[in-house]
Amino acid sequence: MVLTGEVLQATLEHLLLAYAALAAGILVAAPLIFFSLYSAKLASLIMKFSNLVQAIPSFAVVALVVPLIGIGFTPAVIAIMLRVLLPIIKNTYIGLFNVDPALIESSKGIGLSEFQIIRHVRLPNAYPAIFAGIKFAAILANSIAVLTALIGGGGLGSIIFEGLTNFNTSKVLAGTLPVIGIALFLDFSFSRIERWLTPEYLQK
Amino acid sequence: MVSRKPFDRIDSCRLEKVTKKYGDRFAVKNLNLEIQGGELLILIGRSGSGKTTALRMINRLIEPDSGSISVNGIDVREFDPILLRRNIGYVIQNIGLLPHLRVSENIGLILKLESWKEEKIRERVKYLLNLVSLPPQIFMERYPHELSGGQQQRVGLARAMAMDPPLFLMDEPFGALDPLLRSQLQDEFCKIKKELGRTIVFVTHDINEAFRLGDRIAVMNNAELVQVGTPEELIFSPANDLVAEIVDSKRKYRHIDALKVRDIMQPLEKRYILYPGMSAASALDYMVKVGLEVALVFWNPENTGRVYLNDVLNAVSSGKSLEEAAKPLPLFSPEISLLEALARLKAEGESMGLVLEADKPAGILFSDRVLENLI
Repeated sequence: MVLTGEVLQATLEHLLLAYAALAAGILVAAPLIFFSLYSAKLASLIMKFSNLVQAIPSFAVVALVVPLIGIGFTPAVIAIMLRVLLPIIKNTYIGLFNVDPALIESSKGIGLSEFQIIRHVRLPNAYPAIFAGIKFAAILANSIAVLTALIGGGGLGSIIFEGLTNFNTSKVLAGTLPVIGIALFLDFSFSRIERWLTPEYLQK
Repeated sequence: MVSRKPFDRIDSCRLEKVTKKYGDRFAVKNLNLEIQGGELLILIGRSGSGKTTALRMINRLIEPDSGSISVNGIDVREFDPILLRRNIGYVIQNIGLLPHLRVSENIGLILKLESWKEEKIRERVKYLLNLVSLPPQIFMERYPHELSGGQQQRVGLARAMAMDPPLFLMDEPFGALDPLLRSQLQDEFCKIKKELGRTIVFVTHDINEAFRLGDRIAVMNNAELVQVGTPEELIFSPANDLVAEIVDSKRKYRHIDALKVRDIMQPLEKRYILYPGMSAASALDYMVKVGLEVALVFWNPENTGRVYLNDVLNAVSSGKSLEEAAKPLPLFSPEISLLEALARLKAEGESMGLVLEADKPAGILFSDRVLENLI
């Protein structure tokens, strides 16, 4: 019973950690994307930075945060956030800029302003890609949230590492099974929302 | 946004010494071209001849390096580009309907941005869909991907007409359609064009399309304007070999040498002929009753003429006879060569001539119908 309570507590912590990081990632990505729509320089800088973070192993990102910000919940959130920034930004970019040039051209030709083209042409075109990015980011956040237990982020990772150190298989399972469960749940629920959000014209 | 129309009608649209370079290459070189209000001007040339660049400089999608483009005497650079473009219909080959919007939303997008009321937008969209022969009750709620290529192009046309622009720029709008559909859309487009009477600049590389739709045709090559004129002018007096080749005058109209007036003349209906002894007053009565704008006065082959309703009216009021009111017109035998007859018409500055067979009027030769009959 004690274990059940502990697992439940850790699961909630884990979800809070992953979702706080995901939300932070979206909040940080949005203005970056918005401003880089107007500046090619900023756009390339941001892409380079997020590619760089992607190249660094997740574990290293988590470790790097410690000497810079310390340990605990907030540094853990920041570490995960840095890691999930890339899929969100990259997918949004792909969505916004992989628009048929003829579409942009004709929209400009009929008298849409730059902003109206972003609002009425680029953004609607990007929704599916943005959502795919967020879905991937959510699953990534869930898995990295396990690692951040090492820097005091709490969550299911703590139980897993504890189990590993003590060769306690049931404890390892008590930690890993909920993580797998969350991952499956995320995938399932996001797929449902995705279908719900996908514009009618793309549904076959 | 307050809707301010930069212009309500087109008197003229003038390109003066317009040049645009990309790197070292001229896209358009020293182009002088005047588009008259109400005409459909074709820009034709091979790809890379500068026709599309010239077109897109009119609504400022491309800014020229030098020279100026003006509408009704006002430089287009003085207009806000967004307002300018909303006042110029723009249709391209790829159409560019927004895939996530329904047909009605696509057509109404600009109206919505111009803060039209929802109800008024729906009304306008219905009107436009009817105009392009798409029943609104069937098509309004569809998405672009549910339409055929021809239907999409019609929607594109309707969208371009949303703001009721006095000027249209069209870049190979029918280029992607199969030939049968293309000619059907061209026919419908001609009808719409007549109905609306707009000024249109139309880019194409299809000379048949150019002949079919164009009032005048401007031939471009290597970024320069080679010749501009009516289809007849291009065919019968091409400026150089290139124009001759483009209008294909050698191959397609080779047989024109063999044609006789008889092959091309329009049969003359009896009701168009006024006979001697008729007074000007009774001729007027007759023409009004039958609904004639123009009639032929025929006494004998030496005394033949043409009268317009106006001439008869003047004759009645000034007490002249019908014979005095009639203006002589060229006479042809049906067996003479068409080219000879056309040359005579041109020399005399006439647009029509009477064809006599055995000293009886048999038909009329219209110089501007010759092409229509050939194509």
